[in-house]
Amino acid sequence: MLQKQVLEQFQKIVGPENVDDGEVMTNAYSYNWCMEFVNSMEGKEPLPFSSIPKAVLLPSNVEEVQQIVRICNKYNIQFKAQSTGLGPWNQPSSDNCVILDLRRMNKIIKIDERNLFAVVEPYVSGAQLQAETMKVGLMVHMPGAGPQVSPLASATSMNGPGFTSPHTGHSARNVLGVEWVLPDGEILKLGSTGLKNNSDWYIGDGPGPSLRGIMRGWAGAKSGIGVFTKVAFKLFPYPCSTKFKLSGISPNYEFEIPDYMKLYVIDCKSYNHLEKVFLKIEEEEISFICSHLSSYGLGAIFSNSIESLLDKIPIVGMKVPLVVLIAARTKREFEYKQKVMSKIMIDFKLENVIGSKYNPNSLFYAEALRSNLGLHGFIATGGFQSSKGQCDTVKVCLKTTKMSIPLKKKYIKRGVIGNDFGEGVWITSYESGHYFHIESPTMFDQTDEKSVKGMAENMEENHQFDLIKHLGAPFFVEGDKMHDLFGPEMMNYHIWLRKIKKAFDPNGIADSGFYISAK
Amino acid sequence: MMQLNEEEYQMMIKRCLRCSICKWIPQVQIKSQKYATACPAIDLYNFHPYSGGGKIILALTLEMDRIKPSEELRDIVYKCTECGNCAIACKFLNTLEPLEIIMRLREKLVDAGYGPMPKQEAYIQAVKKHNNPYNEPHENRIEWLPDDIQIDPNAKVLYYVGCTSSYRRKEMAIAAARIMNEAGVPFNILSDEEYCCGSPILRVGEINTFRQVLNKNLDVIESKEIETVIFSCAGCYDTFKVDYPLYRDYEFKVLHTVEFFSELLEAGRLKLTKEIPLKVTYHDPCHLGRNAERYEQWDGDEVQIMPLISINIPPKPKKTGKGGIYEPPRSILKKIPGLTFVEMERIREYAYCCGAGGGVKSAFPEMAVNTAKLRIEEAEDTGAEIIVSACPFCSTNLQDGINSRGSKLKYFDISELLMMALGLEPEKLKQILGEAA
Repeated sequence: MLQKQVLEQFQKIVGPENVDDGEVMTNAYSYNWCMEFVNSMEGKEPLPFSSIPKAVLLPSNVEEVQQIVRICNKYNIQFKAQSTGLGPWNQPSSDNCVILDLRRMNKIIKIDERNLFAVVEPYVSGAQLQAETMKVGLMVHMPGAGPQVSPLASATSMNGPGFTSPHTGHSARNVLGVEWVLPDGEILKLGSTGLKNNSDWYIGDGPGPSLRGIMRGWAGAKSGIGVFTKVAFKLFPYPCSTKFKLSGISPNYEFEIPDYMKLYVIDCKSYNHLEKVFLKIEEEEISFICSHLSSYGLGAIFSNSIESLLDKIPIVGMKVPLVVLIAARTKREFEYKQKVMSKIMIDFKLENVIGSKYNPNSLFYAEALRSNLGLHGFIATGGFQSSKGQCDTVKVCLKTTKMSIPLKKKYIKRGVIGNDFGEGVWITSYESGHYFHIESPTMFDQTDEKSVKGMAENMEENHQFDLIKHLGAPFFVEGDKMHDLFGPEMMNYHIWLRKIKKAFDPNGIADSGFYISAK
Repeated sequence: MMQLNEEEYQMMIKRCLRCSICKWIPQVQIKSQKYATACPAIDLYNFHPYSGGGKIILALTLEMDRIKPSEELRDIVYKCTECGNCAIACKFLNTLEPLEIIMRLREKLVDAGYGPMPKQEAYIQAVKKHNNPYNEPHENRIEWLPDDIQIDPNAKVLYYVGCTSSYRRKEMAIAAARIMNEAGVPFNILSDEEYCCGSPILRVGEINTFRQVLNKNLDVIESKEIETVIFSCAGCYDTFKVDYPLYRDYEFKVLHTVEFFSELLEAGRLKLTKEIPLKVTYHDPCHLGRNAERYEQWDGDEVQIMPLISINIPPKPKKTGKGGIYEPPRSILKKIPGLTFVEMERIREYAYCCGAGGGVKSAFPEMAVNTAKLRIEEAEDTGAEIIVSACPFCSTNLQDGINSRGSKLKYFDISELLMMALGLEPEKLKQILGEAA
């Protein structure tokens, strides 16, 4: 609970109905997905709860956020901001912390269809924004976490690969201007939004040094460097007709597949072959989706339950699958893309099982267009999280895949993680194949202590493995322990990160449990 | 869908992903930012525990003794219309049953002495005393019945009027009865042997009283050799259709008036002679739509196919709204001459709630009317002049929403509109056409 005088000041800022320090509310906010194995990794009891926040606040605008942050500085209380709130990164790491739930900041400020960017507040979901951008023939990049999460969080504070990444890029590269409440309460506007005259959101840099790297860098600061209250990011042409018609009852919808979409599911047979095919397809810039998944993962994206996964035998037996979805707005564009794909198929001696051995439900196409495929990762055990997360060349990503199979198999053999034969990865490309990302979705059972502890060990060993084998930095290099582990091996970046933290947050008020402390 | 047993409840409350899917209509159905949300409670109160997933977390924290039953907990748990939209959204890919968990959580609060809310307890006492939640004299239950309605004491069809239509929305009862007379359907009513169906008691977790009410109703109906029971109240219909069989089987068939009238229209027993040249939209009541899906028995096996991964053979039924009554009301409206039917964005299994259910109308009237205003705004955005529905509780609350919002929309029950199209209410039809002009 908060001291009475602090509570009253918060109430004055956001209104009494928008601050709660009661036992029920604060305990509920201490729960999150994956907290159980994060706790286990930290040597704590493997429960799905973090530290209990002192209070939860619901600010409605940047001024309120600024005032809250100033009060936090005054009374030496930490804050943790969250938007849609999925995952342990949203959780406080100490019991001297308030949560800023940014749910009331939910406006789409602008969709600039001519200059292809949108400006949104934290609680606009990807699906909401996409519904609006579709009206002007555009789409938004959404992370693998799904269309229900905040694109602002992905763009400013998280990593951000998505299934449509060949077409819509990566959150780190899409972000433009931001409005940012620094940990000391100062408001900073990045890029063209900070111009004295005719300010707008079209660019995130200059003049002067770019602060985008400091703002988010590789994978974001998870609120450890302040609160982002508005963001601009790039929009992309919707890949086909925006006609979107469903019939039936959830979840068994029938979707009228738009003209000019074609799916390819190809078995590349070997990782070496996959590397070449991947690069060729991306070099040709024809794909809307181009992902390598394990055969299990492949079955999952076409299934809406574990039971229906078993119907996918024709495809789950593939050795090295590649999923390619092409989409076009015109017949001519579609013919061109198909022609290129046909040439690649012939040159690389590939066979498309779609149409011959397997046809997915039409809903697959709807989910692909709405970036809903990542959520299929939950259908087997209910719990999953990815180790790895590197962005690198396809060669390195596939090297990681191959080298990590025995490690994953070790935990599968122990029965603590789900059996994907050790091959469970997701690899997708960016920017015409100039770089790729790999993560290793791993199924565990969050209700089984043995599985949770095993998952934690698996994550720890993966981190060590990546470090020793020079496979790059995974997603979850976060918190002092991880930065201190990876930093000395990576140009001592952790020293610089601490300097940044100290400069921007001299009082250590932004909770750094998933970032870095100034020490 | 299966009814959760305690073991399943305990397992399910550990499995929320906190993904917030429950706050939205199915992601692929989102058509605009404005009408993307699914849950009135989280829309109005914003803190996560008001959502379906948030209430699952509350259930877990309570079971783990991290919190104790309290008025703070009670107020959050009871600020929920139990509309079940969260349950539809969750099961697009997941397997949790947030609505079932919320209902069980309420039962636990009742057992702990913290539920229901005081105003809900008051109407439960009214039901015990007067057989209706409105504290009205039982003997006035058939005051709605005009002299010229033909009742057949020997009919195999029973019209179960329900408390709200009997005492508060009499126009619905009259319309239903007149339409059956017009179609030449002999029907009976229970008159002073009709008692509250128990829905408002069940929804707030008072299971013991609900069982008593249920038995009282079934005893009476089963003593009369009734073959079919017709309901114009979606709440009564849902309670008889879905909830009663969990406690006691019965043999008779249950139909909502929209199903029955749609069949009569198809069979040519009702002739629509009057034009209603107005733009009309339809609100799916939660009790008639997604929640009108019967529980199913599952006698299958859970088979572990590999460590941590089990499958159910056959798959366990899950509540998806597939058993809802969606097409009959739309079919009726589309048959009315001159009427232009327009849909809101959130319809059928993912329709937004009117705000009245789950005991909210009595315990939290402001929440009820604020939700109704959101739904009325959605109806206005279709360009409709009239909003119709098929539930007296939706009727009361949506009309309150219209008044509170100062909306120009008119509300009618679908049977009232049907009656006008049948030529049974020429003056009323003339009046609404005049107002529209």
